[in-house]
Amino acid sequence: MPAKELNQPCTECKDAESELSVRQKQLCRHCFKRFIMHKVHMHINTVYKFRKENNGARHQLLLPLSFGVSSSVLLEMLNVDYQRRLDNELPMGYDLHILVVEPSTMTVSASCDKNYEVLQKNNPMRTVNRIPFHSVFEHVPEMEEIMREYAGAQFVDDASKSNEERLAAFRASISTATSQTDVDTILLTRLVVEFAKKSGCKSVLWGDSDSRLAAKALAGVAKGRGASLTWQVSDGMSPWGLKFQYPLRDLYKAELLEYAHFTPELFEIIIPDKPASDNVLTKNLSIDELMMRYVENQGAKYPGVMANVARTANKLDPSDTKNAPSCSLCGGLLGNVKGNVGVTVAGQAEDCQSSQFCYGCMRSRPEVLR
Amino acid sequence: MAPTVCFNCKEARAVIIRPKNRHKLCRACFIQIFETEVHETIIGTKLFFRGERVAIGASGGKDSTVLAAVLKTLNERYDYGLNLCLLSIDEGIRGYRDDSLETVKRNAVQYEMPLEIVGYGELYGWTMDQVVAQVGKKGNCTYCGVFRRQALDRGAARLGIKHVVTGHNADDVAETVMMNLLRGDLPRLSRGTSIVTDSDASDIKRSKPLKYAYEKEIVLYAHHRQLDYFSTECIYSPEAFRGSARTLIKDLEKIRPSSILDIVKSGEDMAALVPVEVRGSGKSKHAGAEDESAGGCGSQNGRSSGGEMAAMEKQLTENDAAESRETEIKLPVATSKKSKPAKPAKQIKGQTMGHCERCGYISSQRICKACTLLDGLNRNRPKTAIEVGMEDEEGSSTLMRQMERAQLGAT
Amino acid sequence: MAHSSATAQGVFPVSITVEFTGGLELLFGNERKHKVILPAQLEDGSRPNISYLLKYLVNNLMKDQRTDMFIMEDNVRPGILVLINDADWELEGEETYELQQGDNIVFVSTLHGG
Repeated sequence: MPAKELNQPCTECKDAESELSVRQKQLCRHCFKRFIMHKVHMHINTVYKFRKENNGARHQLLLPLSFGVSSSVLLEMLNVDYQRRLDNELPMGYDLHILVVEPSTMTVSASCDKNYEVLQKNNPMRTVNRIPFHSVFEHVPEMEEIMREYAGAQFVDDASKSNEERLAAFRASISTATSQTDVDTILLTRLVVEFAKKSGCKSVLWGDSDSRLAAKALAGVAKGRGASLTWQVSDGMSPWGLKFQYPLRDLYKAELLEYAHFTPELFEIIIPDKPASDNVLTKNLSIDELMMRYVENQGAKYPGVMANVARTANKLDPSDTKNAPSCSLCGGLLGNVKGNVGVTVAGQAEDCQSSQFCYGCMRSRPEVLR
Repeated sequence: MAPTVCFNCKEARAVIIRPKNRHKLCRACFIQIFETEVHETIIGTKLFFRGERVAIGASGGKDSTVLAAVLKTLNERYDYGLNLCLLSIDEGIRGYRDDSLETVKRNAVQYEMPLEIVGYGELYGWTMDQVVAQVGKKGNCTYCGVFRRQALDRGAARLGIKHVVTGHNADDVAETVMMNLLRGDLPRLSRGTSIVTDSDASDIKRSKPLKYAYEKEIVLYAHHRQLDYFSTECIYSPEAFRGSARTLIKDLEKIRPSSILDIVKSGEDMAALVPVEVRGSGKSKHAGAEDESAGGCGSQNGRSSGGEMAAMEKQLTENDAAESRETEIKLPVATSKKSKPAKPAKQIKGQTMGHCERCGYISSQRICKACTLLDGLNRNRPKTAIEVGMEDEEGSSTLMRQMERAQLGAT
Repeated sequence: MAHSSATAQGVFPVSITVEFTGGLELLFGNERKHKVILPAQLEDGSRPNISYLLKYLVNNLMKDQRTDMFIMEDNVRPGILVLINDADWELEGEETYELQQGDNIVFVSTLHGG
């Protein structure tokens, strides 16, 4: 077939100059985007099934957006999907709610006002909301009580202070980077879940890339949270009756970065990741950071092996954890999974025996002993 | 800095901080508590019965030496009524095993236990030195690992003993968990976390009483009791220091000292969540002995080499390419109505166990790995024979096999 | 620390014993016990601590080229235990511990097999 004079034609369409190498293929921009879309489509398609099961009611989905690359790319792909449905007069099937937990209320960072404005402007068809991290006390009323129980006697909660100050004091009472990250993630999840429920959502779409899921799986295991992988890494039912889905689970972080790079719509939305500082000593990293670093380093050489970690975790069968007592903080299982006769739980410090908190949460608890 | 007082007795000077709960203990309390916890593990899992004959897989290294010392102590203190003996494997590596076997011989005297030494030479007709002369230094760990696994069972059988205990510690189990998560091998992850691995096919039971003991505490126990143990790197695996899972675990321990037991806890929970069809029928009821690398070559235990990861990467890339070739043809533009919701692939075949036609040892294949390797050695063409019969298997299990081939010694 | 006031002023060099076990001795000429004499005061006026000792050992005592088997990120490699007079170094301030006359420092590898 007489083709155009191309230096290195795209392996897929053979009709355009290839621009990048993706999984052993040389692709043009168009085919690359199609490839990415395909990888996501397999996962977001599940939402259409819902409509049939619920007499045509639209599925309400919540997308927590951090302004990071992954969740922003996920939103963009859903928007492409939305547009195609409009153009082809296909039924929409779902409503998407976007939730931004103001990043500057979680870490020291610049305000995201500009990005948020663009987000609202670009998504008139979506419900867009923004809440601060400390609104966890409003949205999860029992959190005050849980926080006091969890932090122990040494932590004094001053109810006269603002929610912002109280949350800051609580977070500061946790001593290690690992525990801080761990507890922050839990609080964020609780906040998102509660907001999702109030918005009538049945599912949360998380923007975790495959690389991120691999790191989460490894870190979860390292933190004694292996039993929670069935919803923290796999697509599955969370302890709060909402489905957690990870539609980007087949895409590497590097691929999402490429996608963002080719998508001008995202330039004003994404807040670029802070470059990982290599000079932090290993012992000062959090376990989550260590695992992310590990997955990035190893993933450069062995992307498939790293990708396989999340897939492996996805094979675990959650059915045995249903209806078991759960941790009042993270929602994870108290004690052991049925059938696990191991004695690590009994071997914990005595104060955890009759605890309302699970093994993993006890490990991240502000230290009482020291 | 004023000396810290022991958390337990509130008197003596604390010399250790326990990884699992940060308790600061004096020498005497530490030794006491370490032993008591192993006792609780033994009682809690009903590991032994009165009058049982138990062989301790002894390499002269820290783990098996501590195991022997603790079991002797507990057997007397709590009157288990066990009949203990030491069982050592002589791989036939001159200059390596010579010293460690001397240590085991001293241990036998110190602990007043009978000692049986089983050699690769007499079992297989090949010492490791001879294997290395034939296959070179690369890849010989495969042979050593496969041979050792069977050697302990065969040694025990020779003594008429049905229970072999090994010095695997919490770090080893944690390594197994991480490693098999990285390898994507759930059946192995599941079996590796179990304290007892016995099999329907063999009447030898394997167990690891130190499963919940931190390697750090084992080393400190040996230090504070001044136990006589031997340590070296296997002279044939100089690169063994590297290795993904192990390095990762040591880094984790630095960040959060408890994390090794936390991984064990995760592994146990995950093992219970592995679907039965993946696990095979019944929990840890089969293939146990095949999976364990027992004592001995600790420097190689649980380490994944770069070669293994590269091989796996290649395989996964091929699978991925095949998958996308299939699907993308059907999917030029996704139309919502027809495309089916994605279902996570949940099927992998469990292994079925039988006996090796050649030697009668339990095996998932017609001919067990040891015999296959021996065939290769004897035919002067190592490694080729093992590929037989793998072509028609599905991807994931082919991959598993390939990994086994690449890294048989590491469990 | 009253007894060490003389050394604190930098009068006597600090004489200590260093031991390598658990397989680490292989990196140090297969010699388990070493007598080490450190200056009482360093150039910047501080007293020698474990950090200093580590550098000293690598530069003066280590026979093996593979320093990363002993040191990582300028500290003891994870998996190697350090005992200061038989106590876990974590009880003594880890690498900031200032060495005293007659101290016994033990490095034990947990990384080696047997």
